[in-house]
Amino acid sequence: MALGKVLDPTAVRSDDITSPGPDAGPLAGKTVGFRLDEIWRAWDWIAEIWAAEFRAAGAEVKFWRSHQGRTGTEGEKVARELEEFLASIDVAVVGLGNCGSCTGWTIRDALAAAAKGLPTTAVCTEVFDELGHQLAARGGRSGLRIHILPYPLNEKQRHEVEPVAHEYFQGMLQTMGATLSQSKEKVG
Amino acid sequence: MKRGIATQQHTEQKVVNLRDCGEAGCELDWLSSKTVETEIDDVMQFTRFAMQQGWGDGLPLIPPTEARVRAFLGANNRYADEVICHLPPTDADCTVEKIAINAVMAGAPAESMPLIIAALEGMADPDFELFGLNATTAPVIPLTLVNGDIRNKLDIPYQHGCLGGAASMSTAIGRTIRLLVRNVAGQVAGVTSQTTFGSPGRVAGIVFGEWEERSPWAPFAERRAGIKGDAVSVYGTMGTQNIIDTTSQTGPEFLEMIGKSLAYPGANGFSPAMPFAEMMVAINPVWAEIIHRDVPNLEDVQELIWKHASIDANHLTPQHLNQLEAQNRVINGRVFVSVEPKDVLVICCGGTGGLHATGFHSFGSCITQTRAIVPGPEQH
Repeated sequence: MALGKVLDPTAVRSDDITSPGPDAGPLAGKTVGFRLDEIWRAWDWIAEIWAAEFRAAGAEVKFWRSHQGRTGTEGEKVARELEEFLASIDVAVVGLGNCGSCTGWTIRDALAAAAKGLPTTAVCTEVFDELGHQLAARGGRSGLRIHILPYPLNEKQRHEVEPVAHEYFQGMLQTMGATLSQSKEKVG
Repeated sequence: MKRGIATQQHTEQKVVNLRDCGEAGCELDWLSSKTVETEIDDVMQFTRFAMQQGWGDGLPLIPPTEARVRAFLGANNRYADEVICHLPPTDADCTVEKIAINAVMAGAPAESMPLIIAALEGMADPDFELFGLNATTAPVIPLTLVNGDIRNKLDIPYQHGCLGGAASMSTAIGRTIRLLVRNVAGQVAGVTSQTTFGSPGRVAGIVFGEWEERSPWAPFAERRAGIKGDAVSVYGTMGTQNIIDTTSQTGPEFLEMIGKSLAYPGANGFSPAMPFAEMMVAINPVWAEIIHRDVPNLEDVQELIWKHASIDANHLTPQHLNQLEAQNRVINGRVFVSVEPKDVLVICCGGTGGLHATGFHSFGSCITQTRAIVPGPEQH
């Protein structure tokens, strides 16, 4: 038996932003942008319900639908669309992390929004909670706001998903640092 | 027949940052990796230690002592701190030094470093979408196809058992790439990778050559990117799918059998989750000769496979079909494994027993990347 020194084969990035970024604050008068995904219909239904709440509070709501084609000419088109979408909103809600690669792109798009200084919240289901946080940290922003929805979700019927949207709405406001009233007080 | 458009080219001249220290020569660079004291004579004890550190894959590892790593680097004449690429999701610096450390642990020969570097450069291209590959629930791995004389110099198999089972250095080379994906890119099952089942290929990769001498077609790297000679192509595959045919006698018959065998709704190429996909097919040299005799134009070969690699849209569930229709993926009542025939990638390899082809279904949306292998000066 002999002791000796070996070289560490791993590499890590050293930069990290631990701040969650700015609160969304009062939503009245702001444009809230939902990043949807062509795969997850359950996320469409939830976004519709939350959007109605935001509109009732005086916010404008925009939707942009992402998809998995992030390479080649298709990928360039998606990147342009994302850029235009982020330029047109004040608050970003980015989902849905509900599989491995789509959680990856959800987090990556959320990091792009946060890098522009937008109050940004990513949304994942609970199976992909840790993955979302790991990818945010590896993307250099461990403080990224991530709201977690129950799993399974997309396998459910609409009438089963709608109660989930209502149940998790207050938590979403908290994660966003948002208020529905004009008051600057945060929910919760 | 419909013709595919030209594929993406990577023909720009490669400039390698080789060391140049003048006539006096260089001293080996300082290594910057953290050192850890541990058992280095007993491989099994070191392997247990490495597993505890999260460095290993379960197989025995060779301790990456400074002497071993320096010897590896010394044979390659590259700066240890040269950053080759950034591999997601970690996006940390993948340096020559980190490549050497992982290669030593995997048991790869020093002569394989240029090949490994070329493969990593291809994998790091944003169009390869390694970000998605490393995080996904799918079992996808980057397959590494080797062209050129380097196949023989490095003992890369392209005949019997080339995809696994042939005793060769490709196992250690592939393992090096996989260790780098683990230790530098940061892919860890259950943490940053959500792969539901994984794949045997996630341990030692799939590194093999094209049997250029028996192929009726130009080497893949030349067709794909205009690169003649030593090159690697990386392709995100879901694994290997065997296709047996003991009955066909003509080129069109073999191509029909191959195409129809590739068509099943659960393949990523047919999934609405993926807007497009490539489809790689390995054809054994016996069939390749017959196919070329009967269908001399390779684009016609691609077209025939593509035409048969399709599914009747009415066999899909309504929800599945609705999503595909929204993506304009239904053509004359059928859904195809790739958007265009040009995305059927045909290669020739395998043993002379024939009888089988291999389909490599793609993850989808990761575009095959081809890079020239540029050797260090001592390796010319």
